[in-house]
Amino acid sequence: MIQMQRITKNYRLGELDVPVLKGIDLSIAPGEYVAIMGMSGSGKSTLMNIIGCLDRATSGNYTLNGVDLTTLDDDQLAYIRNQQIGFVFQQFNLLTRSTALENVMLPMVYGGLPLAQRRDRATEVLFKVGLGDRLLNRPSQLSGGQQQRVAIARALVNDPALILADEPTGALDQKTSQEVMGLLAELSQQGITIAIVTHEPDIAHQAQRIIYVQDGLVLNRSHNLVS
Amino acid sequence: MSIPSSNHAYSPSMIEVFGMAIDSLRSNRLRTGLTMLGMIIGIGAVITVTSVGRGAQKSVEQQIESLGSNVLTVMAGASSRGGISQGTGSASTLTWEDAKVVAEQVTMADAVSAYLQKVNTQVVYDSKNTTTTIIGTDLNYSKVKNIYPQQGQFFTQDELDAALSVAVLGSKVRDQLFSQENAIGLDIRIQGKRYRVVGVMESKGAGGIQDQDDSVYIPLSTMSAELVGNNALSGIAITGFVLSTQATDQLDAAQFQVSNLLRLRHDIYPPQADDFNIINQVNLISTLGTIISLFTVMVTAIAGISLVVGGIGIANIMLVSVVERTREIGIRKALGATRSAILSQFLVEAVVVSAIGGGIGVVFGIGVSVGASLALSIPLVISADSIVAGLALSVGIGVLAGVIPAQSAAKLDPIVALRSE
Repeated sequence: MIQMQRITKNYRLGELDVPVLKGIDLSIAPGEYVAIMGMSGSGKSTLMNIIGCLDRATSGNYTLNGVDLTTLDDDQLAYIRNQQIGFVFQQFNLLTRSTALENVMLPMVYGGLPLAQRRDRATEVLFKVGLGDRLLNRPSQLSGGQQQRVAIARALVNDPALILADEPTGALDQKTSQEVMGLLAELSQQGITIAIVTHEPDIAHQAQRIIYVQDGLVLNRSHNLVS
Repeated sequence: MSIPSSNHAYSPSMIEVFGMAIDSLRSNRLRTGLTMLGMIIGIGAVITVTSVGRGAQKSVEQQIESLGSNVLTVMAGASSRGGISQGTGSASTLTWEDAKVVAEQVTMADAVSAYLQKVNTQVVYDSKNTTTTIIGTDLNYSKVKNIYPQQGQFFTQDELDAALSVAVLGSKVRDQLFSQENAIGLDIRIQGKRYRVVGVMESKGAGGIQDQDDSVYIPLSTMSAELVGNNALSGIAITGFVLSTQATDQLDAAQFQVSNLLRLRHDIYPPQADDFNIINQVNLISTLGTIISLFTVMVTAIAGISLVVGGIGIANIMLVSVVERTREIGIRKALGATRSAILSQFLVEAVVVSAIGGGIGVVFGIGVSVGASLALSIPLVISADSIVAGLALSVGIGVLAGVIPAQSAAKLDPIVALRSE
């Protein structure tokens, strides 16, 4: 699903080129459920942004679902994000003035689906994450766990190849964290590829494999949790 | 998987973008309202100011028209006694014969009417009284001044010949002396003498040398006998005469002929000063025309300023709204919005806000214009061009004020935008 070879990323800081990623080699198989762990400043956020096509590598090759992303322009990357990747953020990042239904419909707006189809599909996915009775609520009328489930529904709605979750439980309490993690595990069992970025070992251990990032490199001690 | 080429990356259709813009405007009512308020006030002010300006202009034009643009007023010249000017019309330099000869010999003259005038004269009916101007004149007065009785009739040649005590009231005098009752046939007193009211003049509005509505008209012969103390018309000194021509462009020629004729009759040769004054209505109009055009320029400037203020308001709020919505832009981009999708969303929002604001502004402006025309009693002039210009400008300003913020919104890096609070 994901193939990364010698990915580097430098940031310009005034006169200096600061290397953040120093040659990442990474591969994630279709249907795999991985956790990316690392301390803050390790480069895991930058890695996540590159995996999510929100940012470009300075050098190296990145292939997602068989497509070489190295040469694509901004609009093509937008298309990849729309069609291939579902994002789940720590702060949910829902449009606060729109309803749950409208939020879930948004990726399909940019995907070019007709309105009736958008509404049907969004409703279906919201039912799937257990929010069938909250379609017309705004984020402020939902609990944190419910908001994150809306975000997961939004991530799922375009049938992405990959769900990329950045600290998905970072803003949630113990109980709702487990609900959200349960939902992700369920999706994994349905064969969706999932990558979560986290610094919490408890959360990371619910994935099938942990990839450790340290000082801009992937550590070799990444291990499989299921044999 | 196939990747569309950059040019064919999916962008929502115009209808989709329009729908998104409406949704976004509806969910941010305060921001939308404030933006529209700038436009409403801007366009409303343009339409109101233009309408009031043009209404005032039309009102002045109507008043001048009502005075007649083809009338010369010739008055006895100011005599100087011991270096003190006695005021126009106070000297007895014009006689009834002068008016008669002018009527006979000035070929450009269509009609001539001699008059005697006495200002600040008390007129009494029953327990009511008013102070007004008494004008003693002949039958041509109506024709020259283009003012006709609304009720009753002007006095007749027989009444003039017999020097009967009859009076025709200006509309204002009628209103002041009589409340409900029909004035025709009733008696009024002027300086203790009874006059029978035979007619009431139509209202012409104030303007020119004197208020025609605030006058009482009596036969010249009667006035000469009773008020001035001269029995026969021949040889009497008159205050002046009014002369009308067929067309406005004959007025200068008529003025030339009248001047020459009167100088000849009065033995006046240059460099001696004339002993009469000629007031030419056309000169008055050209003076007023200059004032009106200045007024129009001023009005346009004010309207322009209010539009600029409205435009700055829109630009301001658009700019702030991009900053406020950075996170929203980041979310949309992460979910697959292209640069052009963000650009068109912001542009359409700007256009929709300013078009709706402009539309409300037009309605608001028309409403205020109607109110102003009623309150100021000026004609209601709402021209299509001010509405079209107002709407076109509001949408134009909306696009201009929307372009820069929309561009900076579209350029935002999704990572940076997502991190903003």
